[in-house]
Formats: sequence, structure tokens, C-alpha cells
Amino acid sequence: MRKFLSMISSTHFKLVISLLGISFLVGGISIIIGGHLLYKAVLKEATDRIRLDLNAAHGVYNTQIKYVKGALNITTLGEGFRNSLFKNNIPDLLDRLNRLAQNAEIDFAGIVGSDGSVLCRIGPNSIPEDKRKYENPIVMYAIKNEQQIAGTVVLSEKLLKIENPELANKIRLPQQNVQKETEPIAGLAIAAAMPIFENRNSGKLYGVIYGGILLNQSTSIVDAVRKTLFLDDMQQGQSTLTATIFYKDIRIATNLFNPNGKRAIGTIVSPEVKQRVLLDGKYCTIQDFIVSDRYIAGYDPIEDIEGKRVGIIGVGVIESNYSNVRYKFIFIVVIITFIGIISAVVIGYILGHRILDPLNRLIKASQEVSAGNLTPDIGTLSHDREIRFLQKTFKDMFESLKQQRAESENQLVQSEKLASIGRLAAGVAHEINNPLTGVLTYTHMLLRRKDLDQEIRSDLQVVIESTERVRKIVKGLLDFSRQTELDLEPIDLNRLVKSTIALIENQALLKGIQIDFNPASELPMVTLDRSQMNSVLLNIIINAIDATETGGHIDILTTVELSTDDAAQKGVKIVIADTGSGIPPENLDKLFDPFFTTKEVGKGTGLGLSVSYGIVKRHGGLIRVQSEVGKGTKFLIWLPIEKKMEVINENYSS
Amino acid sequence: MKIIVVDDEKIVLDSCRKVLTSEGFDVEIISSSDEALKKLKIEEPVLLIIDVKMPGHDGIYLLKEVRKITKSLPVIVMSGYHTKETINESTRFGASIFLYKPFTPEELIAAIYKVIKKEENK
Repeated sequence: MRKFLSMISSTHFKLVISLLGISFLVGGISIIIGGHLLYKAVLKEATDRIRLDLNAAHGVYNTQIKYVKGALNITTLGEGFRNSLFKNNIPDLLDRLNRLAQNAEIDFAGIVGSDGSVLCRIGPNSIPEDKRKYENPIVMYAIKNEQQIAGTVVLSEKLLKIENPELANKIRLPQQNVQKETEPIAGLAIAAAMPIFENRNSGKLYGVIYGGILLNQSTSIVDAVRKTLFLDDMQQGQSTLTATIFYKDIRIATNLFNPNGKRAIGTIVSPEVKQRVLLDGKYCTIQDFIVSDRYIAGYDPIEDIEGKRVGIIGVGVIESNYSNVRYKFIFIVVIITFIGIISAVVIGYILGHRILDPLNRLIKASQEVSAGNLTPDIGTLSHDREIRFLQKTFKDMFESLKQQRAESENQLVQSEKLASIGRLAAGVAHEINNPLTGVLTYTHMLLRRKDLDQEIRSDLQVVIESTERVRKIVKGLLDFSRQTELDLEPIDLNRLVKSTIALIENQALLKGIQIDFNPASELPMVTLDRSQMNSVLLNIIINAIDATETGGHIDILTTVELSTDDAAQKGVKIVIADTGSGIPPENLDKLFDPFFTTKEVGKGTGLGLSVSYGIVKRHGGLIRVQSEVGKGTKFLIWLPIEKKMEVINENYSS
Repeated sequence: MKIIVVDDEKIVLDSCRKVLTSEGFDVEIISSSDEALKKLKIEEPVLLIIDVKMPGHDGIYLLKEVRKITKSLPVIVMSGYHTKETINESTRFGASIFLYKPFTPEELIAAIYKVIKKEENK
């Protein structure tokens, strides 16, 4: 469980999850927006196409009308027809009509006289006994207007029965809608009628030839539309286009099939389409459920010869043809998203390793460093610029840590050394000083006697000198052991230097050495232990005098100077330069070590400079030496101004 | 003129007695603070010389106790090893001179006369 938690909180995991998130987001948005846009575009395209298809279907319909008219026209053109008509040769006329019907696939045709009485017609009732006026609307129109006419007509059941009982059967709907009983069903036909005059196109009207095709249950027009427009689909064995002709709102001819495989004749169009197309006479496209499927469909009104809207012509395409496009799109996007997800995981994993491995290495290295190993392995340098920079920075940091530690170890060793020498010195001093008092007292007292030989006297003198030497060494040791305590007070350093010089000046002049002091003007007050700093200066100046030959000189100056480590830390600097013998380079390092001396035995304890070093250090300052053999030595003492003020405050508050 | 010297080191006591006797002083040497206090209740020396570091009660303790008895008795404090505090304490409780060990007879005598002269000048 904990492993799982640490895994999901790892940067690596987050990286992969982020990339996954982006993949999902992009994929999801593509599906939603892209799918929607595509669907809209496809739908518009489909609607536009339906409109074109509908126009084409209407064209096929009108062509069929012209075809009927043309067929009639051809029949009337020959002289034989007119002769037979004028001579009332009924059998010949009937023969001609039958041939017309056969060749042009015409359902009904006939010839009437100028009064409307039927001369002959095709079908069972070819030469009617009953010469009653025949009220076929197309015939009536031709007689009345004495001009040829072609178009859509509505034929009542009664009329059809007279014409041909077989045709009347066709208008019976197989699944007649019960609700439609109020409206008597009738036949819808495309028909033409042509008046025949005595002299070709003039003179008295002699009769009318008429003919037409009943649309009810006809497959010719609807299948022709489908064939014309959707040839490709047909070849692929699909029947996605349907064409339908309505009488009013009832399907009378269609290649729309109901679920049990029969043509959906007798079903009605939706009220919305009826309203828009049949009643308002407008073109309309819809997406709707029709009979058994969802369709995108377009409808146009059909007007009869008198301009009355009597039916509808419609085409439709199954909507899923188009919505499938959307599903295909979604499928592709899902696949792409899936590829994206896999890529995200892989790239995230690789990237993660590339970025995080060096980082983890650095973290481990840092841990090693805090555990004490200052030379950790940070791995090979990365190729990424930023990471390489980070690695280098870490390397530098470890390097400087190492240096700092070496330095502080050095300092620690140095101060440990000083501290143990200090303790030793205190012990030694205490033990030695009492017997030394005895030695000094008794030798001095002996010397007071007048009866001593000169030789004994000089021997005693040697004892006294030796004891004085021991006393000096012990005093040095004691000074050394006492350097931890600072008695700080604000001090005018120039004045301190001057008073120190005054103490020693005579000694220098005796040796023929000039001491010059060049004090800085406006030197700030420095908080120091007066007597300790005094002994530091004294010590260094005495060393300078000792190292300088007669005629040489010692130059002392004070200045204000910033710290070499910390530019913000202001301080003062004292420089003591002599023209003495100089210090060989190999001795420079050992200069501040306790008991290191180059003076003759008996002249120096080797403690002076190490005591001075300790005192300056304790003041937060620095002491450095520059020397060149034969030219002279320069001691530089730097002391901070402000830092020590804090210490003083601490002292006051404690 | 009696001078009392207090130190746990015999060599120091002997040295002091030798020097002071030669100078004509009456010297009494005592090797512990407690003994010195007893002695001071019966004697009135002109000067007291005490060592700081002694086993048992040290010289500073002795100095404080002495000051309970007399404010005017001049005292020289001597030590072979001292800190700033011991010097400060000594001064605070009226020691006239702090004498660093080892010292020569001349230094001891000079210190004594300095103190006695101070007393006479008062």
C-alpha cells in the first residue's frame, strides 16, 4: 500500500499521468467537437443532395408525362389514323390504340368524340355500348379548351371501373389506413389528351385521343428514379434510396419497403410534411422515422392539370448511411487517442528516466554528502543543458564543501593544538613558578654576600640569567594560555599604535632603526582588548626590529578596508613593514605555530606570533605575512569594525 | 613590624622569610588560609602577603575573610598562575599589589615598601 502511495506521488508517475491526461483531453474534445462538426457537415451535404435528388426525381416524373404525350402524338400523326377516325373505322383505331398501349406501356387509352362519347378504348370494355359522356378530367379539359394537355390527373374509382376494372383494383390499398376512410381513395395518373381537328390543327373539333399511366402500385417511375440517381448503390446491392409518390398523403407507389418486405403502399406521410408540402405547397426536407428506419427525406408537391395539389413526390436516404460516417470518425479518433495514450506512457517513461535519473542520482549524492561522504558519485553528465548545469552546480557545491571542511578541520586542529598547549602551559606555569621563586630568591640572596669569589659570583649570575629565561618562557606560556579572554572596549587604533611605538621607539633608535607611522585620517573606533592588541603590536614590532639591521626602517600604517571574504564587512588594517632580512618561503607556513622560532636559543620562546595569531583571530580578524628574503617582511592585520559590536552587546546583556 | 606570609609552598614561604628577615622585618609564615585566620585574630601585622592558589580555602577566600575583620590591613596577593578574575577579585577586596611569581628579592622588597609607603602617606 505504501509502495503504491509512493508510486503515485512520484514525479515519474505524475509526468505519465499528465501526458495521459493531455491525450484523453485531446481525444475527447476531438470526438465531441470533431464528431459534431463532421456530422453537421455530412448532414448538410446529405440534405443538399436530397434536394438535388428530389429535383431529379421530379424531372423523371415530368419526363414520363412528356413520354405519354409524345406517344399519343405519334399515334395521331399518321394519315391512316385520321382516315380511320373520319371513316369511323373502329377496329383499326382500336388496333392502333392497343399497339400504342403495348409499345408505350400505357395503362389506359381511348378515343372520344367531340361530344365526349367514347368511340373505343383499350381494355376489356373496348367498344362500349353505353355511349354516355365520359368525364375523364383530362378528356374534358381537351374538349373544353380544344388544345392538347398532359399532366397529372386524379381518377375516381368509378371512372377507373369504367375505363378498366383491373385498374380500379389497383387503387385498393393492401393495408388501407382505417383513418383514411373518410376520404375516398382515388387513382393518380399521368395522362395526356390531344384534340383532333378536321384539318390537322384547324377546323371543327372531331374528337380527342387520350392515354395515361396509373401511378397507383406502379413501380416504373419510382424504380426509374432510383435507377437514375443511385446506380452505384444498386450495383453494390444496396437500396439506400427510396422514391415515393403520394396521392394526397398516402403512399401509392414506392420502393420503400415495410419490415415484412412489402412495398409500404397505403402508409401516410407525417403530418408535418403534409402541412408543409401538400397544404402550403412548399419543398421540404426532414430527418424522420419513416416506416422502418430513420431517413433523410425531401418532398415536393405534385399539381394536377388544373394546378391543384393532389399528391407528393418524395425521395429519401437512410440516415445511418451518414451517421455511420460519424461512427467511423469516432472509431478513428479513439484509435488515434489510444495510440496517443501508448505514446504518452512510453514517452513519459523515457522522458521521466532521462530527467529523473540524474535528479535521483543528485538526491542520493546529497544524502551521501549529509551522511559525510564529500565525494559522492553524481553519475554521468546529462545531455540536457539544464540538468547538466544542475549536475555541475552540485559538483561545484560538493567541491567547495570539501574545501570548507578541510579548512575548518585545519582550523579545528590548530585551535585544538592551541587549547591543549594552553592547558599544559597553565599547569606548567603553576608548578614551575613556585620553585622559580625559590631559585631566584636564594641566588639573589647569595649574591648579596660580600665574601664570595668572583668565579662563584659569575656562576651565580649564570643561574640568575638562566632562571630569568625560564621565567620568560613560563610567562609566554601563560600569555598563550590566557588568550581566550577578551576585555573589549572601543579603542582609537591610531592612538594605540602610537603608544605602542612610544614604548619601543628608544630600543629601535638605539639600534639605529627609524620607525615611521602613517595613521589613517578618520579611522573608525574599533572594539578591542587593549592590552592583548598592544602585545600583538609590540610583538610584531619587536620582531621587526630584531630582523632589521642598523640603518633600516619600519613603516607602520593604518587604513580602512573591506573584508576580503565579505565585501559588506568593513574593517581596519594595520600594516607593519620592515626592511629586514625577510622570511624564507618554507618558514612562512610555520610562522604562527607555537614554539616555532628562528631566533638564537634563549632569544625567543616561539610563542609570540602564535599568541598574536590567536588574539587577532579571537577579535574576528586576520593576520597575514608577505615576505621576500633580503628585502623585508610585511605583516598585515585586519580587524572588523561592526561585527564585534554585537559581541559586546551580548556581553552587556548576559 | 610584623609581616604574615600565607602560602602552601614551603619554598615560597622560606624565600619570603629570608628576604624579609634580611630587610629587618618580623616575619611569620603560615601554610593555610584557616591557620592564617586563626592567627589574625590574635595578631596585628603591618602587612599580609597571601598566595591565591592553595588547597582548601584559597587566597581570595582568605582575603574576603580578612576584610570582615579589618578594612585597613594592607594585603599583597601573589600568584604563579592567575586569571583576570583573580586579579579583579583581589582589587575589589582591597589588595594593594598583585605580585606575579616568580619574583626576585628586589621586586618583593620594592612591592612591600610601595605598600608601606602608601600606608604612611594616608
